[in-house]
Amino acid sequence: MLAQKLHLLRHNVLSFVSSRTGSDLTRRQYDVIVVGGGHAGTEAAAAAARLGAETLLITQKIMTIGALSCNPSLGGVGKGQLVREVDALDGLCGRAGDSAGVHFSILNRSKGPAVWGPRAQLDRERYRQFIQSELLSTPRLTVLEGSVDELLVSQPNPEEPGHHRVTGIRLVDGSHPILSSSVVLTTGTFLSGSLFMGQTTSPGGRMGDAQSCAGLSYTLKETLGLRVGRLRTGTPPRIVKESVDLSLAQLQAPDKQPTPFSFLNTHTRCKPEEQLPCYLTHTTPGVERVVRESVHLNCHIQQDTKGPRYCPSIESRVLRFPGRRHQVWLEPEGLTSDLLYPQGLSMTMPPDLQLRLLREIPALHRAEIRAPGYGVQYDFVCPTQLTPSLQVKSTQGLFLAGQINGTTGYEEAAAQGLWAGVNAGRTALSLPPIALSRTQSYIGVLIDDLVGRGVTEPYRMFTSRAEFRTYLRPDNADLRLTPRGFEEVGCVTLRRYKKAVSVRDGLQEALMALQSVALSSTRWREKLGNISLSENKSTTLNRKQCWTFRIDIYAVYRPHCEKQSREMERIRSEESLSLPSDMDYLSLPVSLSHEVREILDRVRPNTLGAATRLPGMTPAGIIHLLNYVLRTGRSEDTHQFKLN
Amino acid sequence: MLPCSWGLWRSAIHTLKTFRASPSARGLCIPTRAVCDAETIFALSSGHGRCGVAVVRVSGPASSMVLRNMAGLTQALPPPRTALLRRITDPQSKELLDRGLVLWFKGPHSFTGEDSAEFHIHGGPAVITAVLQALGSLEGVRPAEAGEFTRRAFHAGKLGLTEVEGLGDLIHAETEAQRRQALRQMDGELGRLYQDWSYRLKRCLAHVEAFIDFSEDELIEDGVLNQVDSSVRQLETEIERHLKDERRGERLRTGVQVVIAGATNAGKSSLLNTLCQRPAAIVSPIAGTTRDIVETSLDIGGFPVLLSDTAGLRDSSDSVEREGVRRARQRVEQADLTLVVVDSTQLPPDPQLVPAFLQEHLSTVLPSPEAGMKAASDRVLLVLNKSDLVPEEQRERTEGELRERPGLPPACFLSCSTSTGLEDFLTVLQSRVKTLCGDPLSGAPSLTQARHRAHLQQSVQALNQYHQYRDQDLALAAEGVRLALTHLGRITGRVGAEEILDIIFRDFCIGK
Repeated sequence: MLAQKLHLLRHNVLSFVSSRTGSDLTRRQYDVIVVGGGHAGTEAAAAAARLGAETLLITQKIMTIGALSCNPSLGGVGKGQLVREVDALDGLCGRAGDSAGVHFSILNRSKGPAVWGPRAQLDRERYRQFIQSELLSTPRLTVLEGSVDELLVSQPNPEEPGHHRVTGIRLVDGSHPILSSSVVLTTGTFLSGSLFMGQTTSPGGRMGDAQSCAGLSYTLKETLGLRVGRLRTGTPPRIVKESVDLSLAQLQAPDKQPTPFSFLNTHTRCKPEEQLPCYLTHTTPGVERVVRESVHLNCHIQQDTKGPRYCPSIESRVLRFPGRRHQVWLEPEGLTSDLLYPQGLSMTMPPDLQLRLLREIPALHRAEIRAPGYGVQYDFVCPTQLTPSLQVKSTQGLFLAGQINGTTGYEEAAAQGLWAGVNAGRTALSLPPIALSRTQSYIGVLIDDLVGRGVTEPYRMFTSRAEFRTYLRPDNADLRLTPRGFEEVGCVTLRRYKKAVSVRDGLQEALMALQSVALSSTRWREKLGNISLSENKSTTLNRKQCWTFRIDIYAVYRPHCEKQSREMERIRSEESLSLPSDMDYLSLPVSLSHEVREILDRVRPNTLGAATRLPGMTPAGIIHLLNYVLRTGRSEDTHQFKLN
Repeated sequence: MLPCSWGLWRSAIHTLKTFRASPSARGLCIPTRAVCDAETIFALSSGHGRCGVAVVRVSGPASSMVLRNMAGLTQALPPPRTALLRRITDPQSKELLDRGLVLWFKGPHSFTGEDSAEFHIHGGPAVITAVLQALGSLEGVRPAEAGEFTRRAFHAGKLGLTEVEGLGDLIHAETEAQRRQALRQMDGELGRLYQDWSYRLKRCLAHVEAFIDFSEDELIEDGVLNQVDSSVRQLETEIERHLKDERRGERLRTGVQVVIAGATNAGKSSLLNTLCQRPAAIVSPIAGTTRDIVETSLDIGGFPVLLSDTAGLRDSSDSVEREGVRRARQRVEQADLTLVVVDSTQLPPDPQLVPAFLQEHLSTVLPSPEAGMKAASDRVLLVLNKSDLVPEEQRERTEGELRERPGLPPACFLSCSTSTGLEDFLTVLQSRVKTLCGDPLSGAPSLTQARHRAHLQQSVQALNQYHQYRDQDLALAAEGVRLALTHLGRITGRVGAEEILDIIFRDFCIGK
């Protein structure tokens, strides 16, 4: 097996040590083990290490750490907010995006800054390099190549809720176990994954990679008794750029001035003039014809496993909305790549038909396929079995993040990974778990939706999911999250913290200066001709261009946010009262109807807030429940990550 | 989801806060910031129906303003806790509504601990409705949610321990009463109107949200927003017109709602005819004769009663009859009092088996009871019809068996054809109706209506925000539609984010 000790090394290139005794290089005991090197796994490992936990990242292939397995882009509406928040908590993906972006644009510019969607097309190679070199230079982090065969569990700690406790993992090669206090599983589509193309099916989670982790599936389902469901997704064929007639597609230029994702960056690695364009083209009736003719040769589309409604394959788009023109974006794969990524053409038909389909589109009439598209079906663990810290309720120290929880998308995975890593680190360091409120962040909305309601299709973030959208803006993610991320959570480095504090203080000072100027509306109107604040005050603002911009946004939304503050306060206090996870709802000696008992027993809400949102709960039921919990002193005092 | 549920949720949550503020809330890291409810609430705190005097309570910071505006007190307020006879007028139209007593309670010396006022007015439904409407038209004043007065009292430390223990049950009872009342008001044309508004508003929101979340990548034409503009405008116009409509459109279903239910051919329609003393319903020995609701207004012991006869409950292959059965079940759910009619000849001959038989029978007729609600037996009377066909001796032994049987509602033997037992039955029925009428929990329709008005008004205001921000900031504009839907949702049921997403994915092909 290949093993690599990267602990405290400061190289920029990962090299392999091929050795039968490779495992000797590895310690046998870590605070945190992270399984998987995708977006969730890398954020989890980095976050745990930042917290101060001795961390091991295990991945099947070191070279694919940080690989973008599907679309070469990051951010967007809703997703961009997640990237900004992950960055505010010192995660990797924002800075990686700034380093790898080759086409930056802010979506929704005309619709109000609360719903702006920072987005970038990425250079796959640069993204991977950035993530790998970041991990390499992260203290306390070791990376190991290998496949995990088994999760080791033992009797639970009797003082904590749960039926099992995780103690480490065993690798497929049957070598000695590696022990740890926490394990984060980020196995993506590899949990009982199968690949589909045409009529052929093969086991696996990604084309060209090793098979799924069967042993792990077994542990989760059989040993831990977790409920799993099945979801599907897919990826489009990659097209040789040279074979595309781009003159028949519509050019989509990036923003003239790229806006970085990260609060730490003032500019992106790619210079404005070096950016690459995207191209827009459309499907034709011929595409629909090929889909219809190939349905019988397409097992993936015939199955009724749930796929995402918002990222459907071209087959399901055409079948659901026939007779329409569908958009197809041709996206660059990188500065040096000779490929184009046809966004919107995810497909699972046999490769020869894929080619026929592509060639029905004018710009692609000579297109050549480098790698055909395919579908994946995989198991996910029903996320209602997790706590808001993303720990499996029944198993102390076991955390899950990413597609294994039923989500889709890099940003959703990164956000969960970061939070699972934070809590895995905290658990290993004997600190209490910590939850993010849905009133404070999209990450909180994401996790609350997952653990509170579960999923029926791959979960993707939309701004419409956030009830406090006008407060959870991309512009203020640093103010919302960074100071507490340092002070309470411990996942933010001093450098970033200092920067955020100085921004916060500067903004506050400027706001106070502005608010100190109080005039009657008539006087304002008189002054509107030559509108300017008194000289000494406007100098503060002029010096910091970006602050005037941020103050502008703040001022637009402030009245609305103030109106919502009472509602936010209410939700926060509900969230902060957690319900014991081992409560026997069926025999609780309080007046609850049988229906309510069954609902509570089935869902086992983590907090009172989650309980109130359950369909079928009655107000009286909530009162009785609360009364019982308070009377018997059974409420658990979970640490809430609260901001004011 | 049932109407009103969201508002009720909120009620429960506010109560949670008060619990938390109590010293027994050990080790909770909740900021016990004094919950100062800025809103002023009102409710009818006496029963409805034919009562001499009705009492309307007001509580909250605007109580003194309310008193000044409604009782024409331009100068000083009356001394606290002293009754004063005043002309009560509509603050907007200055129209005289009633002459009655007003009382002023300066906080903290009041039931809720807040500034409070009481209006003791004449008990006719028209007067009560007018006063409640007038109160609802004042700025910052709204109808109380279920249990809200009690919760405020609790928060101010004005409740004893036993009252606190009963808070959950009280809220449950009020919730149930409001739910039944709301179901009734929502039944029929008004309900369809509100549901239609709610449906259209949901679509508006879904389309705005689709435009925000997907328009950059998807084929969502700008025309979508223009459609929303005109839909929102249309909705505003319709709701405003509805609010101004002094005719109020729909007759309020006033009076105690008594529903006759039971298996086919038990003699339900005969009971209706006996009580009306005229053949309002067709009776025949053929099972399933009554297929729709037959409704009659009655006066029982001086109290208004709306008596409904329903289709016999049985599984039927006839679609008309199935619809009748569905309506019957719906009506039972809305009822204040259900008369379950049983054919005595179908009772087990062994009297000892009768209680269990009836218990079983009730469970098929009534909606499944909620635990924590002692209620079911308070809201049901068993009528054992066709008593003339049962041997005298068996009937007496059965009566003995059923007397004071806990868990079973009172049972009366009756023969609709010979009128034997009618006197006794009427006595029991009258006392039930009287209790229900005197109980404010049985839900005043005018209060429900006032609550609906308040939510509709807030909904229209929120829609204004949409236009205000439409061209500047779509996020804020969408917020207006969200808010409007929240208010409407308090009448028609809460709308979650998932439901909006369902509409988005149904109406648009989102593919990126």
